[in-house]
Amino acid sequence: MSLEISYWAVIPEIVLSLAGIVIMLLAPIVEPESRGRLGYLAFIGTVLAGAATAPLWNKSMVAFNGMITVDNYGTFLRLIFILIAALSILLSVHFNRREEINHGEYFALILFATAGMSLMAAGTDLIIIFLGLEILSIATYVLAGFKRSDVKSNESSLKYFLLGSFSTAFLLYGIAFAYGATGSTNLQNIRQALGAATQGTRLLGPQTNTLLLLSLALLIAGFGFKVATVPFHIWTPDVYEGAPTPVTTFMAVGPKAAGFAAFLRLLLTAMPAYHWYWAGILWILAALTMTLGNVVALVQPNLKRMLAYSSIAHAGYILIGMAAGRELNASPILFYILAYTLMSVGAFAVVLTVSGKGDLRVNLDDYAGLGFQQPVLSFALSLCLLSLAGIPLTAGFMGKFYLFTTAVQAGYVGLVIIAALNSVVSVFYYVRPVIYMFMRESTSPAPEISVPVPVIITLIITTIGTLWLGIFPAGFIQLAKESLLALK
Amino acid sequence: MLHVMGIPILNLVCYVPLAGFFIILLLDRKSVTAIKWTANLVALLDFILSIPLILSFNNPSYTDPLTNFRYIIKVPWITSLGAQYYFGIDGISLLLIMLTTLLGFIAVLSSWTAIEHRVKEYYALLLLLQTGMLGTFMALDFFLFYVFWEIMLVPMYFLIGVWGSERRLYSAIKFFLYTLAGSVLMLLGILALYFDYGRQTGVYTFNVIELQRIGFPFGLQYWVFLAFFVGFAIKVPMFPFHTWLPDAHTDAPTAGSVILAGVLLKMGTYGFVRFGLPLLPDASRYFIGIGGKSFPWMMWLCIIGIIYGALVALMQKDWKRLVAYSSVSHLGFCMLGIFAATPVAVQGGVLQMINHGLSTGALFLLVGNVYERRHTRLISEYGGLSHIMPLYATIFLIMTLSSIGMPGLNGFIGEFMILQGTFSDPTLRIWSGVAVVGIVLGAAYMLWLFQRTMFGEVTNPKNELLDDLNFREAFCYVPLIILSFWIGLYPQTFLRYLDDPVNRVVSKVRGSDYFKLSIPVADATTSPTVAPGTVVADRPAPHR
Amino acid sequence: MPKEYIPILLFLLVAISVPVLGLLAGKVIRPGGFFFRASRNPAKLTPYECGVDTEGNARDRYGVRFYIISILFVVFDVETVFLFPWAIIYNKLALFGLIEMLIFLGFLIIGYIYVWQKGALEWV
Repeated sequence: MSLEISYWAVIPEIVLSLAGIVIMLLAPIVEPESRGRLGYLAFIGTVLAGAATAPLWNKSMVAFNGMITVDNYGTFLRLIFILIAALSILLSVHFNRREEINHGEYFALILFATAGMSLMAAGTDLIIIFLGLEILSIATYVLAGFKRSDVKSNESSLKYFLLGSFSTAFLLYGIAFAYGATGSTNLQNIRQALGAATQGTRLLGPQTNTLLLLSLALLIAGFGFKVATVPFHIWTPDVYEGAPTPVTTFMAVGPKAAGFAAFLRLLLTAMPAYHWYWAGILWILAALTMTLGNVVALVQPNLKRMLAYSSIAHAGYILIGMAAGRELNASPILFYILAYTLMSVGAFAVVLTVSGKGDLRVNLDDYAGLGFQQPVLSFALSLCLLSLAGIPLTAGFMGKFYLFTTAVQAGYVGLVIIAALNSVVSVFYYVRPVIYMFMRESTSPAPEISVPVPVIITLIITTIGTLWLGIFPAGFIQLAKESLLALK
Repeated sequence: MLHVMGIPILNLVCYVPLAGFFIILLLDRKSVTAIKWTANLVALLDFILSIPLILSFNNPSYTDPLTNFRYIIKVPWITSLGAQYYFGIDGISLLLIMLTTLLGFIAVLSSWTAIEHRVKEYYALLLLLQTGMLGTFMALDFFLFYVFWEIMLVPMYFLIGVWGSERRLYSAIKFFLYTLAGSVLMLLGILALYFDYGRQTGVYTFNVIELQRIGFPFGLQYWVFLAFFVGFAIKVPMFPFHTWLPDAHTDAPTAGSVILAGVLLKMGTYGFVRFGLPLLPDASRYFIGIGGKSFPWMMWLCIIGIIYGALVALMQKDWKRLVAYSSVSHLGFCMLGIFAATPVAVQGGVLQMINHGLSTGALFLLVGNVYERRHTRLISEYGGLSHIMPLYATIFLIMTLSSIGMPGLNGFIGEFMILQGTFSDPTLRIWSGVAVVGIVLGAAYMLWLFQRTMFGEVTNPKNELLDDLNFREAFCYVPLIILSFWIGLYPQTFLRYLDDPVNRVVSKVRGSDYFKLSIPVADATTSPTVAPGTVVADRPAPHR
Repeated sequence: MPKEYIPILLFLLVAISVPVLGLLAGKVIRPGGFFFRASRNPAKLTPYECGVDTEGNARDRYGVRFYIISILFVVFDVETVFLFPWAIIYNKLALFGLIEMLIFLGFLIIGYIYVWQKGALEWV
């Protein structure tokens, strides 16, 4: 009886879950005032998980009857997810103390969510991907509503829950159709069932599996919700604005990256034969997503909301990579996800620190004159924003450049031109906070802003990472390429 | 490769200001004097370090015989994309680098009293800007060039936005968005060349020299030329894209204007000489109208720039804005020379870039001097300053004459070479004639400005007690005046560096046959690669 | 049309017909329907509660603990769903099966401890 059980294949999930459970059990015992310190425990948990995941690099194995696959693609992404979790936890420690959120479960939920993301990256069976997604989603629904006395936070949680479950239904329906069309939920089996029979550019031919097209449409809608592509993006700004800022940080990068991870694996491993169909849909989605994200972000006075729309725009850029993605062409996505993680977390970290108790200072006006009062924070925010805008020597520029070159190579010139114009538009709103910080005088007296150690550590990691990826990207590009080799 | 203290000379020249940037960041913001001294010393050191570049320029051991570029530094950078860290200079970049280090020092020196708040950040950004500009002129890898090109935007944007005058926010964002929009299009053009080169040879590289080796199909060149044109023309700025310039110049602090006019604008013209023409010769001929077979778009735009800029300058009430519009006109001349693509015209165009840097840089400094005293730039507020500030008026006169092309000063040589070189191509002859109108108008607005501000009675009582230039302020002009006369009286010192690179550009655009078909010139010592109309009298032959 | 889908079609028909027939039957046999004359009195209009008189309004608030208890009930109910098939092939799985099941039960117990610690089981 061969069950192909290998606990090593799921070691990151095991470590993360155990750490989560320990924190969950300790939470009711510890005094309410010192529950915030459980965050450090959670941080140690992520470090351990990272240490347990790193040895999986360059290992490849298939476990649990093909449900879990360890390959460089999954390992690379798992490490990114753990990084995201670690940074979010660091930010939360400060934030929760300031906002008096004394719940240890908070950290446990972040760890559980990370375990779910990690499962999505490693899952090679639609069922496992779905399970990972659910573990992730349920944890984030709760996290979004953690400021229980805040109406906006409640709204955020409820909206996310309702639309999230809606999208999950789409996804599940798509999985069901895929199973109906091919007789399996395993990605490799689906690929074999589809074969190369439908390679071609006919919309509907005798060999086209109509049921699978339906499944494809539903899957794209389902994942589209998770990664917030237009037109499935409507929930994003409200949810991001209402959720506690560290949770927003986590949501803007984590679930998004996980959604892309699973989506990419699904498309590249299971459905390369239908590339013509999904590439076309993704082309349109990418163009719509980045354009709408950027245009709407232009008029946002609230920085949190602006970053929410900007995250939509960046999802659009990543979709370019997916549309162009065949074989190695998708490796810029991995690089971009890493770059986006660093710069986005950095920007959110500053917004979180500046906003002060009760999240009151989140509007552009509140940043007037901040530049010379808080040089360190302002420098970090400026760097991250310039990186998001794609100014050279930053991670954002390298990410975009690598993404665009690969897309041009794959023949998506039109899409790249749209994207290039979009990044010009985006510069306008990314630079605006910088203007406010450095070139306007503040109207009110300088607020007391404390910058605690965890935030400083986060800022150091993100700014150095952003610069490093921008100046010496060669190593990470190589890593991304090696990672993607696994998906062939 | 020339090393100073074990560091390749180009790296040293490029990154000394960056080191200064970090040093200043580490200094305490209250120790203003230390910050000022550090910035000045670093800028001076950078200038001194750049002198060996010119001294050992012709030393064959520093020259790459294949490409004729000097002091080459070539290190793999992002191998998977084919981007290298590739520095190297030829005569064109040499002159521009010298101009940059000199004007950089002068800009830093001139800010001693002009900047009173946020001194630390100001000097730090000024030095960072210096590194960006130097890197742009040194880069021979398209990717690296683009990186420096963009990076330089950020400090300039802050300089205008934080230390500028009334409408600084508007001007800063306008400058930033304009340039960025252009450079993104340029990036697309670069990518198109990158991929077509890869398609033809199987090797993907951003190496500019390599890219020049093969010919690109005309259809591709056509679009890439348009993309490059937008990118570079915004920077120059050429006629339809010039609107950011008056705003940015007017609102920038004095040192910012000096750098902006003196160096930043040259990046656009440099881009055309280094990349636009040699990489896209067919499209260049097509758009310039060489041979008379196509509509001369570029010539029209140059001429419109020259005349329109001059006419608008005539109408200005604001002193600094007048100088800014005169830049549009002068840069039109540079572009006319470069697009004419005859050896003399291109040399004239490049020399005029230097001239414009010297004279307009000085003019902005001069405006800055009185602005610091009176805090107004309205011409009507001044008058009769020559009675109160005789030294100031003298320097202003020299620079005005240099700007309008008075023989014996640098402007004359540049403009003369451009006009003569353009005239020597029969199909472009007419444009040379039209451009002369620009010189007349230039004389008009500059002399009128001089008359309104310097001559006559002192009508405004506020002007009666103004101090003349102090030693530091006057010292800024010494190198500029010396160089103006030097170029005006003996341009050969500078032109000899331009022969070879310019001939290479011209032979790219017009084909190497252009030189062979030329009428032999009387001078027996001339090498066969001299074009008709080249001033050969006492110039050493290229390819020595 | 593949033949194997016919059972599903039949199943669908049956599923639809059950409520339709039920409602129809009620319509037919109830007072005021086809056969019997309507008799109206207040008792007919109240909700059916096992024959006892209704107390208060159905939209009242009541303790959130009912939910917690019911969810806990469902959790342990599902546990049994796992236990039955496991018991059937217990011999085949041998020690491995025992350990796995203990781990599974362990997780449930952890959840139980957590709920207990949080005070969700205290009724007052």
